[in-house]
Amino acid sequence: MTDLSNHKKIAIVACAGMDKGLGSVARTSVFKVVEELRSDRVELISLVPLLSDVAPHTALVTSMPIVIVDGCIERCATKLIIKKGGRIKGRVLVSNSARKYGVTPKSASDIGQDGEKLSNAIADEAASLVDKLIGEKKDE
Amino acid sequence: MMAIVKNKVGIVSCSGEELPEGTVSRIATRLVLEKLRPDETVTICLPLFLAGGEDERSFTRVYPTITVDGCEKQCAKVGTSKYSGKPAATLLVTDILKKHPELELASRDELTPEETIVVDLMVEEIVKKVDEILYQQKRMGN
Repeated sequence: MTDLSNHKKIAIVACAGMDKGLGSVARTSVFKVVEELRSDRVELISLVPLLSDVAPHTALVTSMPIVIVDGCIERCATKLIIKKGGRIKGRVLVSNSARKYGVTPKSASDIGQDGEKLSNAIADEAASLVDKLIGEKKDE
Repeated sequence: MMAIVKNKVGIVSCSGEELPEGTVSRIATRLVLEKLRPDETVTICLPLFLAGGEDERSFTRVYPTITVDGCEKQCAKVGTSKYSGKPAATLLVTDILKKHPELELASRDELTPEETIVVDLMVEEIVKKVDEILYQQKRMGN
């Protein structure tokens, strides 16, 4: 299993929302960070197994800086990571970014072109947060 | 006490990002909700369910619920049982893969056309369960 506690990497957690396009954008953007933009710098922590206590991530979220991508104003990912004692060091809220960029995802099953644009922008924001946190780590 | 809502079935999907099976469970659930049984099904995000209050946690008491899980960890089933109540039915993507060893999954984000066959099979299973539950409700109501 990957050692998430070595502090050389940043944990990233996405909203796992099912009923809004915003959740799907959060998910897509985090995949972009994990698989394309910063694959060597981040570890994906899946919210659902963490919360169901079926994955051994519970101790790990307390030992790594975390970047959160929340979908909507409910901010479930943030609330749940706090509940688990995680150290949140960066946050992106998809609904805020949607307003900022003036785009809306089409639906939860198909985010459409606007959703894709939004997820690219959010992935860039999250990647910048990761770089900043890694930089801070180096300075410590 | 809250009454069960007639003619509606709840679906709670794993939606896990770590494995392709999570993506299959998510897409299959959305297809049932949006295209195949839009008037007969409802969902709740599993994280909202877990982060939420009494309203969210009453979900299985209001809707007979099917959990759709990607892998053997069965997070949706475990989380639903722990925070709300026993699901009316549970489905697992890996059960489909066991039945169809010729099918393989590798993508976590966008599925290939071959991988969408697993989604179609999962959709079929979910719809079958939804219809069974609705039929049972109807019989009990008569």
